[in-house]
Amino acid sequence: MEDMLREYLPILVFLAVAVGLGLVLILAAVVLAVRNPDPEKVSAYECGFNAFDDARMKFDVRFYLVSILFIIFDLEIAFLFPWAVGFKDISDVGFWSMMVFLAVLTIGFAYEWKKGALEWE
Amino acid sequence: MIQADLSIILPEIVLAVYAMLALLAAVYTSKDKLGPLLVWSTGGLMVVLAAWIATKASGTHVAFGGMFVDDGFARFAKVAILLSAAAVLVMSQDYMSRRGLLRFEYPLLVALAAVGMMMMVSAGDLMALYMGLELQSLALYVVAALRRDSVKSTEAGLKYFVLGALSSGLLLYGASLVYGFSGTTLFSGIIETAKHGEVTIGLLFGLIFLISGLAFKVSAVPFHMWTPDVYEGSPTPVTAFFATAPKMAAMGLFARVMHDAFGLAVQDWSQVIALLALLSMFLGAVAAIGQRDIKRLMAFSSIAHMGYAMMGLAAGTQFGVQALLVYMAIYVTMNVGTFAFILMMEKDGKPVTDITMLNGYARREPAKALAMLVLLFSLAGVPPMLGFFGKLYVLRAAYDAGLAWLAIAGVIASVIGAFYYLRIVYYMYFGDEGEELDSNNQPILWGFLMASAAVMLLGIINMFGVEGAAAAAAATLVN
Amino acid sequence: METTLLFAPLVGALICGFGWKFIGEKAALWTATGLLFLSALLSWIVFLTFDGHTETIEILRWIESGSLSTSWAIRLDRLTAIMLIVITTVSSLVHLYSFGYMADDPQWRPGESYKPRFFAYLSFFTFAMLMLVTSDNLVQMFFGWEGVGVASYLLIGFYYRKPSANAAAMKAFIVNRVGDFGFALGIFGLFFLVDSINLSDIFEAAPVLAETQVTFLWTEWNAANLIAFLLFVGAMGKSAQLILHTWLPDAMEGPTPVSALIHAATMVTAGVFLVCRMSPLMEFAPGATSFITVLGAMTAFFAATVGLVQNDIKRVIAYSTCSQLGYMFVAAGVGMYSAAMFHLFTHAFFKAMLFLGAGSVIHAMHHEQDMRNYGALRKKIPYTYWAMMIGTLAITGVGIPLTTIGFAGFLSKDAIIESAYAGGSMFGFWALVIAAGMTSFYSWRLIFLTFFGEARGDKHTHDHAHESPMVMLVPLGVLALGAVFAGMLWYNQFFGHADKVGKFYGIPVAEAAAHGEAHSDDHASDSHADDSHAEDSHADDSHATDSHGEDSHAKDSYGEHHYAFVGKPGEGALYFAPDNHVLDDAHAAPKWVKVSPFVAMVFGLLMALWFYIWNPSLPKRTADTFQPLYQFLLNKWYFDEIYDAVFVRPAIGLGRFLWKRGDGNTIDGFLNGVAMGVVPFFTRLAGKAQSGFIFTYAFWMVLGIAALVTWMSIGGGAH
Repeated sequence: MEDMLREYLPILVFLAVAVGLGLVLILAAVVLAVRNPDPEKVSAYECGFNAFDDARMKFDVRFYLVSILFIIFDLEIAFLFPWAVGFKDISDVGFWSMMVFLAVLTIGFAYEWKKGALEWE
Repeated sequence: MIQADLSIILPEIVLAVYAMLALLAAVYTSKDKLGPLLVWSTGGLMVVLAAWIATKASGTHVAFGGMFVDDGFARFAKVAILLSAAAVLVMSQDYMSRRGLLRFEYPLLVALAAVGMMMMVSAGDLMALYMGLELQSLALYVVAALRRDSVKSTEAGLKYFVLGALSSGLLLYGASLVYGFSGTTLFSGIIETAKHGEVTIGLLFGLIFLISGLAFKVSAVPFHMWTPDVYEGSPTPVTAFFATAPKMAAMGLFARVMHDAFGLAVQDWSQVIALLALLSMFLGAVAAIGQRDIKRLMAFSSIAHMGYAMMGLAAGTQFGVQALLVYMAIYVTMNVGTFAFILMMEKDGKPVTDITMLNGYARREPAKALAMLVLLFSLAGVPPMLGFFGKLYVLRAAYDAGLAWLAIAGVIASVIGAFYYLRIVYYMYFGDEGEELDSNNQPILWGFLMASAAVMLLGIINMFGVEGAAAAAAATLVN
Repeated sequence: METTLLFAPLVGALICGFGWKFIGEKAALWTATGLLFLSALLSWIVFLTFDGHTETIEILRWIESGSLSTSWAIRLDRLTAIMLIVITTVSSLVHLYSFGYMADDPQWRPGESYKPRFFAYLSFFTFAMLMLVTSDNLVQMFFGWEGVGVASYLLIGFYYRKPSANAAAMKAFIVNRVGDFGFALGIFGLFFLVDSINLSDIFEAAPVLAETQVTFLWTEWNAANLIAFLLFVGAMGKSAQLILHTWLPDAMEGPTPVSALIHAATMVTAGVFLVCRMSPLMEFAPGATSFITVLGAMTAFFAATVGLVQNDIKRVIAYSTCSQLGYMFVAAGVGMYSAAMFHLFTHAFFKAMLFLGAGSVIHAMHHEQDMRNYGALRKKIPYTYWAMMIGTLAITGVGIPLTTIGFAGFLSKDAIIESAYAGGSMFGFWALVIAAGMTSFYSWRLIFLTFFGEARGDKHTHDHAHESPMVMLVPLGVLALGAVFAGMLWYNQFFGHADKVGKFYGIPVAEAAAHGEAHSDDHASDSHADDSHAEDSHADDSHATDSHGEDSHAKDSYGEHHYAFVGKPGEGALYFAPDNHVLDDAHAAPKWVKVSPFVAMVFGLLMALWFYIWNPSLPKRTADTFQPLYQFLLNKWYFDEIYDAVFVRPAIGLGRFLWKRGDGNTIDGFLNGVAMGVVPFFTRLAGKAQSGFIFTYAFWMVLGIAALVTWMSIGGGAH
């Protein structure tokens, strides 16, 4: 039990660093920043849109779609990395497992492509 | 080694590969025109798989180092899941086609959800559990929002998704606690930990979080809130699907986790589940009284029924699991018939869900009204119908396990619950003549309605052998 | 044959009751009547050919539950045979009579069909009564017992448009429940003690019961006494004995043929039948039988006093019935069962005839029942007059004293009075003699008020008084034959010497020589032994008895007879204990005892003549002089008023309390409160909780898990 918990120590360190860093940056902004507000500055910022409307306006679903698709392939990379790092040591089963995973992913990709999810207009 | 593993998991592989190939085939050919065909082929495949699983060699087989378990319990649950999914799928074809909802993805999502459910009931490991659960859930989120142009449907999908994510989080947190305090994700390993010493508080917390996550899936109070909204908002065939196969799967998973992983700490979880069962029974009974919408009503009805099923689980005995399985099998059958009836409720070609529209129904459609009456009586647990015997089973299980108070509460709740079922009967038989529903006698729906009602009546003879199968299944899970 | 005669009335009832729409009203009525006449004919054949040996005819296996094993069977012995002819004969004649009496009943609107219902009820009653008397076990008897109760209820309330008829029907039913409760307790007790409810088993076990003590209510009882008493409570209800008699006069609300059949000849005698049937048990229950004697004598006296002043013609006869039933119970109580049956048998004929005669008068007078509005009907309805006359002669007991020549009532009533004397019940004896005088008075009063004097009441009614049709007169004639001859024909069989009676009932007899020693010993110890018994002398010449003639029952031949009953319990139809010498002693009663009822009768007749023929103003003056007594009698000793105050009002009060407070407020209130207050409250609450917002839902989930975790860490299984 002790051993296992010790293995997680780096994660605890990471957590502490992340929290500390976040706090430091926020506090730094409070302390250091020059405050000179004007209407343009304090208005809401929307990526790709003019901020002339209520922030809770309708949102083009295409952004959402693209980000979802991006996340899927992002996660694929997350799986592929450890697989690639340990490639030398893994068995046939390990190799083919990843192949099956990629195949399933490809099927999904083919489907979304044919479905037109990747076309903006 | 790997071949042996694969051969154990073959039914799931077949269904998954079928779903992916069909997806490609459809998307590269005529797309939605293939919908009806896919519905029938998926349904057919499910029936074939169910038959295969039912006749497969008995005994317990373990694959992938214990992550996947194929035993009598899993087989019983899988047969029930596949058959009910196939039935609902076939029932929905006409309804979906006429409303332009029958996209070719629908049957395939159902098939993938079924794969997830099969995975759930066979899980022998927390990771396998989570994978099955998420595969099922993701598919269900999508079908809930299948009607994209309807606010209610998208709202239902979104609510289900957000709350489902929350419950998944709870479940994962519980799983990580369990892993943290037992050092393994394998059920067989977790039970070993419990065997050595007492259940530590950390493990217990993990257990509570696991239970909460699973309670969301079976929609037990207080994790039930999504159910009425999702049932109401989803297209009716999807609601029918929600009310049947996923409930069976979630209950199966619930029983498996409790008995396989925490079978030595029965007294710890039994009281928690008993409390959830009690709350579910009463809330389901009380809240349904206020409902006019038959789909919301069925949502609360399913909450109450899950309460009864959990009563069998709370008993923590082999007989309790048997009672749970019998109850679920009967429940699924009843709901298939009831939703067949609801699917036939139409006015001017539009679906109707207001129960007051059933006023005077018996005078126009005596046969269907009678079948519905039988089903409602069965849902309420009126004696000669099968539903009564299901209740009797779980009550006996609870009583034998020393939970007499729970059994008594169950009886009281069923008295309260009888009110809203009987109110529908009242409307049908004694209601004033009002607006008339269309006379929609779609043969498949009609057939399912009548068959389900007939089962409720004829089943009292020997329950079609379900009792024996459930007993055998329970024996493999609890020993 | 027995099965046929048992089921014929049931078939008749079913065909008549349910089938009349298909076969027509007339055909239905004739079917029912025809089947009853068939039943009556078969009964007479059974009665006349019966050899005295008990037979059991099983019809079907009935109840099998644990050690309770019961078949539906006919027990055919002399007792059954007597009841068979009484029931079927009177019933068939009443069916016939009803054709006339029920025609054009003013209770019904023209065109309404009520006759099939009436005949169906009558036939059903007959079937139930036959089931009662033929049963070979107590459960079957109880079913028959309740069956006649139902039929009686239906028939008393036949005029269901009359509130008084409905009230009377309910009263009869409810009062009978009290008795039936006792009867049922007796049956339970017997099953508890004997583990069987078959009569033959019970009879065999009777001697054992006499030795058994049983705890009941607050103390220990002798089992035989207790059971006999409980059974008698049932008999009290059915036979309208004192305390439970109040329903019988009210039952006269039913149509008159019903009164004749059910409330005079058959059903009310079921109690007497039950006591006689259970004679093997009664013989071992001295406490219970003395109670029966006293109660019977009190009833006979009480009812006779009330009968003196009643004005409704049917009520007079009803109280007379009540009184005569008291006579029968006295006979049964002192152990002279055959005398009780004898009176039952003769009474059925003359009382049915009196009722049917009264019905004929009522029919003639357009349903006027008050005797004060009758008078001088002798010429208008001569046949009815003569029938009533014969009935009165029979009931008052006219005959030649010290011989066996006389009307039926003369022989049977005198037999009872002699038995009462011989049985040692001086109270019973004197009560019955006085009651006999009063019987004579009220019976003659009825005749004089109805047929003699001047016409009173509505002139128009009197002018249109007419003789009844033939269907009503024929039954009267047949019953008149019975009233005249039944006593003389069967005197020896019922109340002759032990060998005759024994042969008739199938009871083994033996010459007293075999018992000579025991006999005289018993008598020596008898405290009431009369001087005239002369035990020793008869013990000596007991062997000369074979050659004696059967001519006479006179006292001087007593010494020649020396038979005694030696049957074991259950052997034969009746059982007489070895020390039961009432029969012999009754024959040996002194002359003044035998003459006393006749004297009382003549006295009553003279009084009636004086009051109603010679000096018609006398009754009014007497009533004024003895106003309190008159009111006391007219109001039937205030029994109804006392019951009303003691039982009915508190019961209604209690019922109202339980209804309003218990059922209405508490139970309904609780359920309504839950169903219409608590549950909807929670329903609304649940509806509100279901807000539709995701954050509410998530909040509930988090709240739920927080609660669970808290619970588990504080009170749960956290170790």
